[in-house]
Amino acid sequence: MPAGVQSRRAARVREVADIALAIRTENLTKIYDVGWGRQHVGIEELNLEVETGQIFGLVGPNGSGKTTTLKLLLGLIFPTSGAGEVLGEPMGDPRSKNRVGYLPEGPYFYEHLNAPELLRMYGSLFGMGGAALDARIQELLELVDMWDRRDYRIADYSRGMLQRVGVAQSLINNPDLLFFDEPTSGLDPIGAKDIREVILRLRGEGKTVFLCSHLLKEMEPICDNIAILSRGRLVTEGSVAELLRGDRLRYRLELREPDEELLAKLQGNAEEVLWLEETCRLLFADRQAAFDAAAQAEDEGGYVLAAGPDRRTLEEVFIDAVGEVSVDASDL
Amino acid sequence: MRAIFRVARATYYEGWRKRFLNGILVFAILIIGSSWVFTYLQPGAELKMLIDVGLGSIRFFGMLIAVFLGSRLVPDEIEKRTIYTLLSKPVTRMQFLLGKFFGGLATVVSNMALMGLTFYIVFMIKAPQFAQPTEDSPAYKMEFMYENIAKAVLLSFFEMAVVMGIAVVASVVFSWILAAIFSFFVYFTGQMSEFFGHLADPDTGASPVARVVLLTVYRVLPHFENFDVRESILTDVPVIWSYVGMTIGMGVLYITIVLALGYLFFNQREV
Ligand SMILES: Nc1ncnc2c1ncn2[C@@H]1O[C@H](COP(=O)(O)OP(=O)(O)OP(=O)(O)O)[C@@H](O)[C@H]1O
Ligand SMILES: [Mg+2]
Repeated sequence: MPAGVQSRRAARVREVADIALAIRTENLTKIYDVGWGRQHVGIEELNLEVETGQIFGLVGPNGSGKTTTLKLLLGLIFPTSGAGEVLGEPMGDPRSKNRVGYLPEGPYFYEHLNAPELLRMYGSLFGMGGAALDARIQELLELVDMWDRRDYRIADYSRGMLQRVGVAQSLINNPDLLFFDEPTSGLDPIGAKDIREVILRLRGEGKTVFLCSHLLKEMEPICDNIAILSRGRLVTEGSVAELLRGDRLRYRLELREPDEELLAKLQGNAEEVLWLEETCRLLFADRQAAFDAAAQAEDEGGYVLAAGPDRRTLEEVFIDAVGEVSVDASDL
Repeated sequence: MRAIFRVARATYYEGWRKRFLNGILVFAILIIGSSWVFTYLQPGAELKMLIDVGLGSIRFFGMLIAVFLGSRLVPDEIEKRTIYTLLSKPVTRMQFLLGKFFGGLATVVSNMALMGLTFYIVFMIKAPQFAQPTEDSPAYKMEFMYENIAKAVLLSFFEMAVVMGIAVVASVVFSWILAAIFSFFVYFTGQMSEFFGHLADPDTGASPVARVVLLTVYRVLPHFENFDVRESILTDVPVIWSYVGMTIGMGVLYITIVLALGYLFFNQREV
């Protein structure tokens, strides 16, 4: 390791000494060689820090490098450059495996087994056995609602059943750190809700959950921190609250089809006016201005739909962030 | 050890689920089981025919299974993504590779054992008549016959273990199709490794460069012909244990080297 990187890392360690980090990457880069001199960017210069005990969401469009990041952290593939640490060990180090759980994208297992046999095999790899393992298996299969169907062979599973058993196997060793790649894909709405509850419960137990998904509506309510990837690059990151608030918190007033006269009066104090179908959204710099405008609109016969802090949805943040990158890329 | 055993056991049962392997096994058993039919077609050479077809089939079909199973063990894990959950658990790549190898080998050996059993039954039914002289052939002594056949089958287990090791390792380096072709190629050239040795003799008049190449080929190739003891069986000469032990020892050494090489590749390999 070059001296520069080492001293920079030492500085970082001092900086964050009081926060335990479950994962850290430094300029992590993966370029896939696809033959005939062609290359695909997996991820480029990724710097991430995931604190212990949080739910961290890595989001990004298809092919943005989410699965690549997970596989690198798990040592399934190797970086082109850069480094990473998982639970204090270099990524891929066998020592961290006992404390890690992984649900791969579209998981699949040995077909001749049924769910309890599969979990018994995996459990025994961690040195578990006997009645304790049997109890753990039943607990996990009940958790993912597969206990009633425990006799089914994996070969006969539906997509969602595989996903459920995939979640169960990732928890067999009661890990401190979980990697979930698209955990709710293939699940029905109830199954997806169950998994979200499992994830929240894990955080409650002090565990760290690293989630990859592009289902922003699912991620928004459960993640503490989010990083957005686009084309292998980190475009934004921060706590969900920060991201949704934007650079500064503004206040919004929404009216249903205000007439031109009213709109002209209110517009003066507003910073921005947006039309979303029949809804007119006015954005104000502070709370007072927004509520004054609301009172005025009410007085003058306008139809106020809502007034309050202007929080964006994660989807809006995402489209903003990813859209910018696409424009940048086309400029090249 | 536990990890190797777990992977091996799962691999063994998965191996039995491969339809085309079941097909090969059924076909082999049919051929071996009906080999006594062929002996009627060849009066005078009945015993030779029986042993050729029987032991030959065990080796040939065992080899087919070893190559086709071996070259797909690791690629299938990657293709089906079963490897991800496994390698994220406390299973090192070395343990994974050894588990795949031993599990696959257990499948091959049990397949061959079934073929061997079929052959033994056919032979036991048929053999007493060879001890009797007929118009066109004298009686065989049949002194060492049964023991020799058991040793031949044992040798072919280890022969297929070598084939399997080559196939598994080749599949880590190449695609499975290329690995299968490569394994067949090594198997068939390895049948005549002595021939390369002879070509490298100074008195064959080969150029020095050619001799170095031939000698290298001779040294690197597994000497599969050593595993073939049909000559001794037919002449009813005992196949001595020290020969069996030596041949098996060479095979095990070969497998160890091949697997060690395979590990070096697999450790770098992305999955
Ligand atoms: N084995 C591989 N060989 C070559 N390129 C690859 C390989 N795996 C991924 N890539 C490329 O790396 C980029 C990132 O892929 P990755 O699978 O990490 O995306 P993702 O964010 O997980 O996407 P998705 O949401 O579709 O799962 C893509 O451009 C992809 O083409
Ligand atoms: Mg992915």
